[in-house]
Parts: sequence; C-alpha cells; structure tokens
Amino acid sequence: MDGGNSNQQGMHTTPFTAPPRQEMEYICADCGVKNEIKAREPIRCRECGHRIMYKKRTTRMVQFEAR
Amino acid sequence: MAEGSGSLYDPRRHVRILSERVRDVSSVDYPGHFPGEDHSWDLAKFTENFHLEVQRLSQRSVEFDLVGVDASIANAFRRIMIAEVPTVAIESVYAWDNTSIIVDEVLSQRIGLIPIHVDPRRIDVKSEGDESTDRNTLVFNLDVRCSRNTKAKRGATADSELYINHEVLSSHLQWVPQGEQAEVFEADPPRATNPNIVLAKLRPGQAVKMELHAVRGVGKDHAKFSPVATASYRLLPLVVLNPDKPVPKESAEKFAACFAPGVIHVDKRSGKVRVEEKNLRKDTVSREVLRHPEFEGCVELKRIRDFFLFHVESESAYPPEDLLPEAIQILRGKIAAIRQATEALLDEDQTMDSQDAMQTD
Amino acid sequence: MSCATFQIHDESHTIGNTLRWMIMKNPMVEFCGYSVPHPSENHINLRIQMYDGLSAIQALLSALGNLDSLCEVVDDKYKESLKHGSYERWEEKS
Repeated sequence: MDGGNSNQQGMHTTPFTAPPRQEMEYICADCGVKNEIKAREPIRCRECGHRIMYKKRTTRMVQFEAR
Repeated sequence: MAEGSGSLYDPRRHVRILSERVRDVSSVDYPGHFPGEDHSWDLAKFTENFHLEVQRLSQRSVEFDLVGVDASIANAFRRIMIAEVPTVAIESVYAWDNTSIIVDEVLSQRIGLIPIHVDPRRIDVKSEGDESTDRNTLVFNLDVRCSRNTKAKRGATADSELYINHEVLSSHLQWVPQGEQAEVFEADPPRATNPNIVLAKLRPGQAVKMELHAVRGVGKDHAKFSPVATASYRLLPLVVLNPDKPVPKESAEKFAACFAPGVIHVDKRSGKVRVEEKNLRKDTVSREVLRHPEFEGCVELKRIRDFFLFHVESESAYPPEDLLPEAIQILRGKIAAIRQATEALLDEDQTMDSQDAMQTD
Repeated sequence: MSCATFQIHDESHTIGNTLRWMIMKNPMVEFCGYSVPHPSENHINLRIQMYDGLSAIQALLSALGNLDSLCEVVDDKYKESLKHGSYERWEEKS
C-alpha cells in the first residue's frame, strides 16, 4: 500500500501525492503462482525461482469491432 | 419437360459447350437482332413464357427453376440475396475479460460471424452517429468460466468430462432485453440460429466475459450480414444425340459412364442409348464424353441460356423460401428510388426546354 | 434530350445490368450500356442514345416501369408455386 511518492528510496520528490498504486501482480510462467513484485526487486518467483513472469490482463473494459 | 419458353431444343436458347470453350453465351433477344422479328418488351408475352417452379424445400434450403428471364435478371436476384437482404449480426464487442488462448480481436471477429435468429424486419438500421436504442440494437452477454469437474470419473480423458465449460459456444449468448424489447420479441427471443458453434476453447481458470451489441446490416458492408450460406444458379444442361451417328453398341456403357448417373439410359437388349430428360439436371457437364474419339460427332453438349436452376441456402432468421420474395422487394425498392430521381430529372428537363423555347421565340 | 449518361449513386451491376437489358428491349433505343467506372467508387454510369431525337429520360422511365412489372410477375409466380406446387419437402441436417 505504499504511495508512489513515499518510496523509501525517495525517487519522487514531487509535492503532489500520486494516486495510491496497488502492488503489481504477476503470474509465474512456470508454476502459475501469483507474485507481487516491487520496484528494484529481483524478478523471481517466490515459489519456484523461475525468472519469467506474465503481466495480468487489465480489468478495464476493452472495445472491439466484430469485423 | 414441357416448361415455359417453348422447346428445350430451340437452338436460340442454347449455349454450346465444346471441348475447350463455350459458344453462344450472349443473349440475342433484342429488337433488331433478327431482321423482321419483334423482340421488344411485351409483358403479356413474358408472363406467358415465364416459368417458375419450386423443386425442393427443406427447413434451411430451397431449390427452384427460374425459366424465361435474361441472365441479368436472375443475376440481380442472386446478387441481392447475397449482398442486400438485411440481417442482424454482432457489431460491437465490449470485453471485460478474455483469458482464453484466442486473442480478443480474433474472438471478436468469430463472434461477429454468428448467425443471429431475429427477424431483421423488426429492427431499425443504426446509421453512423446514431445513438443505440432499443429499436436498433440487441444486447447479448457472454460470461463463461471454465473449471475442473470434481465429479469426473477416475481415468477420464474427455474434455467434456474433465472440465465444466471447456468450450465457449454460441448457445452461451444470453440475450439482455432492452426497453420494450422484452415484449416485442417475447414470442421468439433472439438467439444464435445454431447453438453448437464453438467460439473458443477453455481450460480451468480461463474465462470470457463480454457484452455484445448486435445491429442490422447488409452483406455488401460485411459478409457477416449476408442471410445466405450460398445463393447460386446454374444453367440446365442439355445432351443432344446425333441421329445420323449413333453411339456404337459395344461402347454404350462407356458412353453412359461419361455422364452423371441416370442421365443416359442404355437399353440392355439393343444397346441403344437414350437421354433421360427428367434427369438432365443431374448432369455435371464434365465434357468427359468429348475426350473419347469414338464418340466424336455422336453427341452435343449444351446448356439452356434462360433456364436457371437456383439453389439458395439460408443461414439466418429467414426461412429459405422467404429470401427470393425479399430480394424482389428490395429490387423493386431500388427501381422506385431511381424512378423518383428520374421523374425529378424529367421535370427539370422540361422546364429547361420551355425556357429554351421562350428564348428562341 | 435524346442522348444522356445517367450517374446512379449507391448502385452496382445489380441494377446496371438489369436496366441495360430492359432499355435495350426498347426498339427506339440506338444504344444502351453501363459501366462501373471504379470498383471502389459506389456508382454506375448508364448511357442511353435514342433514335429520332426521342427522350432518353422517357426511355429510362418506361424501362423502370417494365422492370417493376416483371418483378411483380416473378413474385406472384413464385408465391403461387410455393403455395400450390408439388415440390419435394425434406429434412436437412444443420
């Protein structure tokens, strides 16, 4: 639940508070478990150690033409 | 087959089929083509000569003979049935979730192609920029999630046993009535004409969640709007034996085998061959008979230029027998529109003429 | 106006060829032809030339009327055949 600007490393020093960002969830390409990866963290599955992750599909609506 | 337009053996009606080409393809029924003959339009004569007969009808296709019209008319009906008779099809896809292996774009296109069972005459056209209303848009939901079937027997291998909802089918479309639609379509609720179309395959954990908007359109805009699977015609084949050069008795069976079964009758005792007229339409006109030197000059292959054998297969809400009347209605609508424009042109022309006349006075 | 080219918008071979045929059935027509100038432009050109200085517009109008009556005949005969004809009915799998 870290705010984007209150990052420990102090990357962002803008006075505006960025909207609270949820931790990104990724899916391990090997075992399929959900992983939360924070910035600067090594990309590695906590369950199996695999180093390939998939991003989850957006929960937003996407519009298409059926053509 | 005493059907309309006089004899099948009138050479003027024949398209000649030779081994490597066809001859006499163009129609010749125009004034001035034959000296001293009147070929101008005559409705009474046309009505007398014209012949139309439904041959076969099933719940999804119709076959009929259209005899005594020019190819341009028959072709107009065919073209209109394919491209201008309106139907309803899904046009917009709003995807919330699709974790199947089929990508959104491809799945959307597949969904657009589902034939929808709803009478297009009860839906308005939605033009560009129009708001979606309950008069011009139908809404469907597609919400399918695959899971493991916990009750599956041990050792089961079939997808249908192992999983629940392992396929997204056209029967999964759920119609969501909008506004007054619930009443209007109460008797015959909109649905896919065929419930068994596989749109995507799923595995446990995968899901598809979409909202689909269907509108009315015509085939010339997109093939998904075409009401027919096929609408086609062919010309009636004709086989003419030469009385001066009969088929050799010893090769009569070989001769018969050059045609579709039933077209040539071989007399067992005398070995004479005869054309079975009622089976002529079964022939494929393969021209096989023209390849054998022993049959040279024995037979002529022809087609009747104004004898159209239509085959129309409906793939929409229309019963197959309704498609031709619908096409005729659309053609007459076009004629009316052009006539209106022509009459306006005539008025303009006449006022111009009278102005010219006044100036010359 | 005994010679004219009519540009018909939103129409194609469907109407072009049928109209051409019906106009050519008129003995007072010297020439009639149609063209689709470009496949991606949705219009046709219909050319009519008349004998004896007769009106091309009148020829087009009468052809339209004749075509309409032709359609009526086809429609009536089809419906009659469907109603009273002895055709084969069968069940088709789908």
